[in-house]
Amino acid sequence: MIDLQNLAYAIDQIVHNFGAVAVTGGALAGTLLDQAEVRRRLAWVVLAGWGSQIASGVLFGLISYSFYHHFPDISGIAQGALMVKVSCAAAGFLLAAAYLRRLIAWSEQWTWRLLLLLAITALSGAAFLRWFS
Amino acid sequence: MRNLNRLIFAVVFGSVVSTAFAAENMVNFISPKDGATLDAMAENKVTYEYTVVPPGDHTHLYVDGEQVAVLREARGSHALEAMSPGKHELCIKIVNHAHAPIGFDKCINVTVK
Repeated sequence: MIDLQNLAYAIDQIVHNFGAVAVTGGALAGTLLDQAEVRRRLAWVVLAGWGSQIASGVLFGLISYSFYHHFPDISGIAQGALMVKVSCAAAGFLLAAAYLRRLIAWSEQWTWRLLLLLAITALSGAAFLRWFS
Repeated sequence: MRNLNRLIFAVVFGSVVSTAFAAENMVNFISPKDGATLDAMAENKVTYEYTVVPPGDHTHLYVDGEQVAVLREARGSHALEAMSPGKHELCIKIVNHAHAPIGFDKCINVTVK
């Protein structure tokens, strides 16, 4: 019989993983391609990716809370890695949204490079979060 | 028919035996013991053993409510940071894959002098 708790974590993990693919792949493609229309579509992919990262990240905590009335208990390096991930997700989401609303004053290329850097940093943080907790 | 009876017997017997020997969550402080006095100048270690069953996955060690270690080995020891003189609470909590405490723990009190 499938354990409901594991099923909930697994489904949430699927969303989280695809979010990571979207923010990294989308930003990498945006850095390499220079067609304006393609870049705008990619920016939507990246925005959706960061949005799903934030939502699924919050849901991880809520699943734990709903089953045990406790949030996941992490400390030290893992806690630092989580803060890095949260910061990257917030910055990436806002940056992608600002790009789509044409609120960015500096060069488009730098925006995409920054989005890629945020994605790589968040992915690296995920590795530390996984192995130091 | 005889084979069918044997099969049913094997399944029922197997279920009874596996239920009887099913593991349960268990946490034990081998040392220090509850109420022990520790030397503030010595390197103090917690030696423990535990058994977890799903959804439990591993355990966390806490000193005065603060997580100080993730214990992945079912039996082992962990060196404690220096503790101030006075009473302290050591707890080992069973957590799931996502590090959420599942509500099973063992706590002891020690005095550091």
